[in-house]
Amino acid sequence: MTDRTRLLLVDDDAAITAPLASFLERSGYAVRVAGDGREGLAAVREEKPDLVVSDVLMPHMDGREFVRRLRESDPWLPVILLTQVGESFERSAALDEGADDYLNKPFDPQELLSRVRAVLRRASRGVPTSQRIRAGDLVLDRTSRRAWLGARELTFTPKALTLLEFLMTHPQEAHSRERLLAGLWGFDFATSSRAVDHRIAELRRVLGDDPADPRFIDTAQGLGYRFIAQVVAA
Amino acid sequence: MRPWLLAAIPLALGAVIGGVLALLGERRMLQIAVAIPLAFVVIGVLASLAIVAVLLVRRSRAARIRERESARAAVSAAAAAETLEAERQRHRRFLARLDHELKNPLTAIRATAAAAGTEDPRWSLVDSQAGRLSDLVRDLRKLAELETRALEREDVDLEALIVEAVDALAAREPAAGGRIRLEVTRVPWPVPPVSADLDLLSLAIDNVLGNAAKYSSAGSIEVRLREESGTAVIEVADSGRGIPESDLPQVFDELARAANARDVAGSGLGLTLVQTVFSRHGGSVSLRSVEGAGTVVRMGIPVGGGHG
Repeated sequence: MTDRTRLLLVDDDAAITAPLASFLERSGYAVRVAGDGREGLAAVREEKPDLVVSDVLMPHMDGREFVRRLRESDPWLPVILLTQVGESFERSAALDEGADDYLNKPFDPQELLSRVRAVLRRASRGVPTSQRIRAGDLVLDRTSRRAWLGARELTFTPKALTLLEFLMTHPQEAHSRERLLAGLWGFDFATSSRAVDHRIAELRRVLGDDPADPRFIDTAQGLGYRFIAQVVAA
Repeated sequence: MRPWLLAAIPLALGAVIGGVLALLGERRMLQIAVAIPLAFVVIGVLASLAIVAVLLVRRSRAARIRERESARAAVSAAAAAETLEAERQRHRRFLARLDHELKNPLTAIRATAAAAGTEDPRWSLVDSQAGRLSDLVRDLRKLAELETRALEREDVDLEALIVEAVDALAAREPAAGGRIRLEVTRVPWPVPPVSADLDLLSLAIDNVLGNAAKYSSAGSIEVRLREESGTAVIEVADSGRGIPESDLPQVFDELARAANARDVAGSGLGLTLVQTVFSRHGGSVSLRSVEGAGTVVRMGIPVGGGHG
């Protein structure tokens, strides 16, 4: 037995899993590899990891099915999905099926490492992965994609709502505009990231959040934005 | 054929009545006295009527031929549009396959480089080049997706959008910002709002502004906004290095980069993106450029209701 944090890496391509496992091992994790969803489930039953990194496209049982089955027995085990494209619907699909984060192939292994750390941090802080979450009197239902402030239901554009969901599920972390743009909009070849500012402005307007004295969304100087309210399961 | 039969009825009627009267032994005579000058007038009128009749017949025949030709042209234009759309779809599918086939090998290369560590400069080189390739493949794929993804339309104030884009560029590159002159036509009416995907539109305008700043180190950059018969027109003009004439036909192609632009970093995807964004909004983009003199990019997008 090891006291190192245990990761389970699920991907059918050994050309990826072998060097990636070695990289993650060097970064201080104990890594186990499974070749598809079925093997992944067996590995989790055998020894529960602290976090799972899984590809989506795999033979026998793909990543989505794997996460669904995993959630049935283990609703709290953090999962990062390696998806194919950065489309926001792909991302919400990944989150809807219970993944805690996602990353597009081909990715920078350093980026995977920082996502692994962030997800583990969130898991240890007990940030809820549940479908209905709350920050003060702000309630977000991730399944129906509806939000309320107190008794009043809020109306957002789809992108603003996706941004709010991302911020609420990643609270207390500063997110750069570029990261938000790449993750939520799907294009990171943008020369600027005002798209993010537009939606933040919309969120603040609808939430009645004063940028100078924010309750929810804080501008992290030179970094981007941060959701500062405490988020709990609703 | 029916109209011709109609024309024969008076003749037949006349012949029948004449025949019947002749058989009945009608012998009376009808004599009409016409003054000679009037006879000439009548002959003239009859001749003119005959000529008009002939011309009418010819014109209707020409119209029929034109109709047939334009129908043929419409069919071939539709066929050409269909071919173009099929070509686009093939291209999209190809990019999707390329992206799909390259993503795992590239992930494996980057993972291998990361596992080897960054101490070895050769592996750092492998990693950075694999990173470049990853970005390129991803951007191509996203460009292809841009052609089909749903637009999230809202009313967009183009002047506000342009001012914001100019401010953002000025914040990034103060020197370029100082060279920008904005000219907005507001009289007799301001440019009405357009129904557009705000993010995509600002992405496109940022790209064009960024190009103007990138390829002109001095001289003013003029940004003009006006309305032209139902189209909001945005022009961005610079007095920079321009584009060689031989490169102009390919200027909107993916990965196309002008021969005189090798020293400036760029993906060759910016103008493709700009064109895709505007054509998705029912608009268009055109570009005029003279090497050594400058470039003007004209973007048009239909306005909502509007004037003119």
